[in-house]
Amino acid sequence: MISTKDITFQYPKGELFHMPALFCTAGNVILITGNSGRGKTTYLHILAGLLRPKTGSIEIDSTDIVTLSERKNDSFRGKNIGIVFQKPHFIASLTILENLEMTSWLATGKKNSAIAKKLLCQLGLEDHASKLPSQLSVGQQQRVSIARALINEPKVLLADEPTSSLDDKNTETVIELLTTLSKEYKAALIIVTHDSRIKEKFHNQITMI
Amino acid sequence: MIAKLAWRNIWFKPLNTILSVILLMSSVAIITVLILLEKQFEEKFNSNIDGVDLVMGAQGSPLQLILSSVYQVDAPTGNISYDSAKVWMKSPFLEKAIPLAFGDNYRGYKILGTTPDYLEKYGAKISEGKLFEHNFEVVVGNDIAKKLSIRVGDTFFGSHGDAAEGEVHENEAYTVVGITEKTGKVVDNLIICNIPSVWQMHGSHEGHNHEEEVSQNPAHGEEGHIHDDHEHDHVAENPAHGEQGHIQHDHENDLTIDEPNMEITAVLLKFRNKMGIVTWPRIIAQNTKMQVASPAIEVNRLFKLFGIGIDALQYLAYGIMLISGISIFIALFNTLKERKFEFALLRVSGAGRFKLLLLVMIESLLLCVVGFLFGTILGRIALMLLSNSAEDDFKMSFNPYEFIWDKEGILFLLTIFVGIIAALIPAIKAYNLNISKTLANG
Repeated sequence: MISTKDITFQYPKGELFHMPALFCTAGNVILITGNSGRGKTTYLHILAGLLRPKTGSIEIDSTDIVTLSERKNDSFRGKNIGIVFQKPHFIASLTILENLEMTSWLATGKKNSAIAKKLLCQLGLEDHASKLPSQLSVGQQQRVSIARALINEPKVLLADEPTSSLDDKNTETVIELLTTLSKEYKAALIIVTHDSRIKEKFHNQITMI
Repeated sequence: MIAKLAWRNIWFKPLNTILSVILLMSSVAIITVLILLEKQFEEKFNSNIDGVDLVMGAQGSPLQLILSSVYQVDAPTGNISYDSAKVWMKSPFLEKAIPLAFGDNYRGYKILGTTPDYLEKYGAKISEGKLFEHNFEVVVGNDIAKKLSIRVGDTFFGSHGDAAEGEVHENEAYTVVGITEKTGKVVDNLIICNIPSVWQMHGSHEGHNHEEEVSQNPAHGEEGHIHDDHEHDHVAENPAHGEQGHIQHDHENDLTIDEPNMEITAVLLKFRNKMGIVTWPRIIAQNTKMQVASPAIEVNRLFKLFGIGIDALQYLAYGIMLISGISIFIALFNTLKERKFEFALLRVSGAGRFKLLLLVMIESLLLCVVGFLFGTILGRIALMLLSNSAEDDFKMSFNPYEFIWDKEGILFLLTIFVGIIAALIPAIKAYNLNISKTLANG
């Protein structure tokens, strides 16, 4: 569960953004839409604790992440927030499975190979576990990103334009996986997008103007 | 896990890594060789000086005199009259005077005529057999005995001079009566006999002009035949010695150390007090045709000459180390741009800033440790090869398995220091990475 209140944000010498309040329970989906330059990605980074808002609070399972120190914030994010980025990024020198294990190790101190393998199976990527990320197609890479975002069973799953670099078929698959898996892993799913292919599918939308 | 990631990262860009490692390896190898060489060289030189304050010999280069008589590496400066040397050797200033007479060699190993004091000076105990007593009995150095598999009781002929190809003295055979313990000093590579053996060998050598007589003795390897022969020659050519009658079988008529008008090569002198060391060089130079040289001074001069070369090589090695540091810096700095998403990703996954700093540092340090290890090994391989050729040319060997912990430890710390300095800026950049900005622009 994630809820926000009265969030404002200002880049150094930039304009002041008023972020809309947001409330999302485990297993549900909220879409944040709006045109470019309205601060969608900024809002997502604030939700992820990557940027510190000027005012307001963000409660994730009764922890206000705005008040956490940077070190605690990093560790809280690792355990409770999964992020899928616009473009899939990986540690290039590690295999797919090792990338997942690394994510798990950074958050929990344990290499959770069992969940990593299970997720890869669910995403239909079990044959690619020992490949390097660069050997996969963009669609496959984005699916691995979903696995990575979910491996620590986070409370919140954030997706930043997850489909902008994908074709229709892959978009369909990725959206399908995001919704079903976030339900299965009981995560609140927040998708930032301007992709009309996604907008059609969801009713809970917040538009940033 | 971070270390594993660092390890995978450095091998993900093998060319960058190999370049850095090769540079580091070369500089570490050069410095390692220099460290080992310098120490072992000085040790070898200094250990041989022990107990020799001055060396008396023929006029010429004092360095040559020292090198030939103390280290057995150069040709002797010439001969001096034993009679006039004896006058000085009896001086009450002296604690010990060891006469040396060079004559022949056996397969490149010098046969040195001297007194048992010589062995005692080097602490060379007889490990097998006994000390030489009679003419043509020799004690063989430990290294030679091993290399040429010589045993007590063996006999051999010497070749004239110090070249293995020199004329063979086939009329006298040396008999091995003892083998010395290993000392790590020049004695290990010497064959030692008494001085009259050298005189007698060369006395008979001079008389050895009856080719046909030699050819008439098919079994000249046998002592009896040779000495009959020798007796003939010697009597004919040296009537003065002939009076004594040279029959070796009973050793009655051998030359002795008291033989007049004979020559030796040098005398190693040890003084009772320091006064003699200071005054003798001038006194000898003024009053005789001989010279006296100080091993300590000459060896210092030699080290100074070497020192210039060693310093130059050392600067070169440190230069290469600097370049390897720069190479590591450039490699890390260049990949920083490509890897900033990786760093952002690690941060997003819960890694703190410090873990990123650590990651970059460990990558650099791994390169340095790998470079150092390979460098140490390469340096020792190089020293082994160097030792083999020095062994052939100078009968001087180095031990590549010796570790000089303090100096090599400092070298290791220096390598680590280079690694830390090279990684400092990239690591701080990783530490200060703005993840939000990085991800937003990706």
